[in-house]
Amino acid sequence: MEYTEKISLRVAFGKALVKAGETRTDMRVFDAGTKNSTMSLAFERAYPDRFYTAGINEPGMLGLATGLAMDGKPVVACDMSVFLHHAYAQIRAAVRQGKGLHMIIAATHTGIAVGPDGGSAHDITDLARMRLIPNMHVLTPVDGNQVNQAVQYALDNPGFYYIRLNRPAVPIFTDSDAPFEFAKAHHLADGNKITIVAAGDKAFTAMEAAEQLGDGVADVIGISTLEPLDTDAIIKSAEKTGRVITIEDHMYVGGLFESVAGVLARSRPTPMERIALGRILTTSGEPDELARIYKVDLQELVERCKQFIDG
Amino acid sequence: MYKISIEELKDKAYNIRRDLIELIYRAGSGHLDTSLSLVEVWLSIVHSDFYSLDAKNGEMKNRDRIFLSEGHACPVQYMINADLGYYPKEELLKGFRKPFSPFGGHTVRNLKYGFENSNGSLSIGVWQAYGNALETSNNVFCIAGDGEFQEPTSQGIFSVPLNLKPLGNFTLIINRNRLAQDSEVDLGPIKEVAALYNWQTMIVKGHDFNALGSALQLAVEDKDRPTLMICDTVKGYGGDPNHAGKLGHHGKPPGNDEEYQAYLAGLEAGRRN
Repeated sequence: MEYTEKISLRVAFGKALVKAGETRTDMRVFDAGTKNSTMSLAFERAYPDRFYTAGINEPGMLGLATGLAMDGKPVVACDMSVFLHHAYAQIRAAVRQGKGLHMIIAATHTGIAVGPDGGSAHDITDLARMRLIPNMHVLTPVDGNQVNQAVQYALDNPGFYYIRLNRPAVPIFTDSDAPFEFAKAHHLADGNKITIVAAGDKAFTAMEAAEQLGDGVADVIGISTLEPLDTDAIIKSAEKTGRVITIEDHMYVGGLFESVAGVLARSRPTPMERIALGRILTTSGEPDELARIYKVDLQELVERCKQFIDG
Repeated sequence: MYKISIEELKDKAYNIRRDLIELIYRAGSGHLDTSLSLVEVWLSIVHSDFYSLDAKNGEMKNRDRIFLSEGHACPVQYMINADLGYYPKEELLKGFRKPFSPFGGHTVRNLKYGFENSNGSLSIGVWQAYGNALETSNNVFCIAGDGEFQEPTSQGIFSVPLNLKPLGNFTLIINRNRLAQDSEVDLGPIKEVAALYNWQTMIVKGHDFNALGSALQLAVEDKDRPTLMICDTVKGYGGDPNHAGKLGHHGKPPGNDEEYQAYLAGLEAGRRN
């Protein structure tokens, strides 16, 4: 696959915040002691008066951010994903304040791609947790350009958002000026034999797999909005190919696989496979090494697609 | 100190208590004991000279704010806001704890009705209230329970002037009735801890309008530090004297007419004294 450059989604996020801050002087950014990891530091440097750090205090940060949102400001609360477990009650309480609030929760260091920091740092259930919260929009931008566009979209449209931002560099393959189409899937490759549905940074992996499988084989759907899901695009593709495989850096429970399976089970029952993490506690290792160990990498996707098609 | 006389405040306290007893007896559920302990505290805030509100325009930009963090005390909030004229009392009596009414078992944010925050799990409102005070010049009060400070997340609020910034427009009121749901509670050295983190701290007689009024005045006059007001109250104050201040009545409404009458008799006896 050809691409011009790679950028980590969290780096793209820091840049997007700074850019948004040029015009959105009302937005405020919070962090909980991880600003040089989430890259919210870039925003603090540009606009120190519009940035708050709560210290290592995730529940407090979410509470403070909610309170300021209740005072009418759009707020962005940033943290390393796994630590947001501490603030789940506060996130739920934020949403219970009503639809008038404007809050964006940005989680970096998601999935096993965090790598050598070990299992305690791998958040492989964040999407499931966020999907359980009514009115929470769950965004999984597929590359750096889409991160920038997603941040802009979320700032322009009041509501509650969760944005998943992985740490490793991801190839940029969308146009920089292509808008973020909320609740719309990306149709990334045309094929007739199998549908690959991929969330976030796994969209590029799905495109690579499609290339290896050959022209016209895999229909690739990239998911930048997991909740609400573009059900039409999934059903349409499933009708065409008759087979669906999902890939995500997340536990299959409550993530992309079960989202897609839930849609198809009701509307268009279709044989499915999944590339996802099991209900496991993960170990330390380099991101690529872990992806191989847990069978959520390109090689696994290609092999499983072939087996599925030959079925 | 107040926009109305102390005598008028006492009359209001009596009427609010009578209506709370009726409201919760009729509904068959609700936290009467906690609500009764907060009547004077809540009335003192909203009737203080400095307090800015407009019951006909609840969303008024320059309003002062009360966040209720111990959300089970919402009946006292509902009843006092009816008295202030945000909505007719009949609407509350009809809708309390009923599906889709604005008067649920815990508060749902509704600025038109003067409800600043949706509440529930303890400790969350304390932080939301502080965040709400960050960029306004209006006063923000947060009412929390003493049991609520068994939550470590609540205790963390005292370090916020150091870790974030001190806010002179923020007052934390702890309703120290010394009784939680299943046991007695002791705040321990919380006042001393708050003082070490540079809060203005005070202990106030929580059923005494003169003491409350003076304390609230001091709280809003300190523009540099947040204030902690520990209000000593009695859970179930002004109701059945056999229940007041005693464990075992959390969230239990009068169960029959006899118990209901005992609450009303206690209320009348309290008024005569």
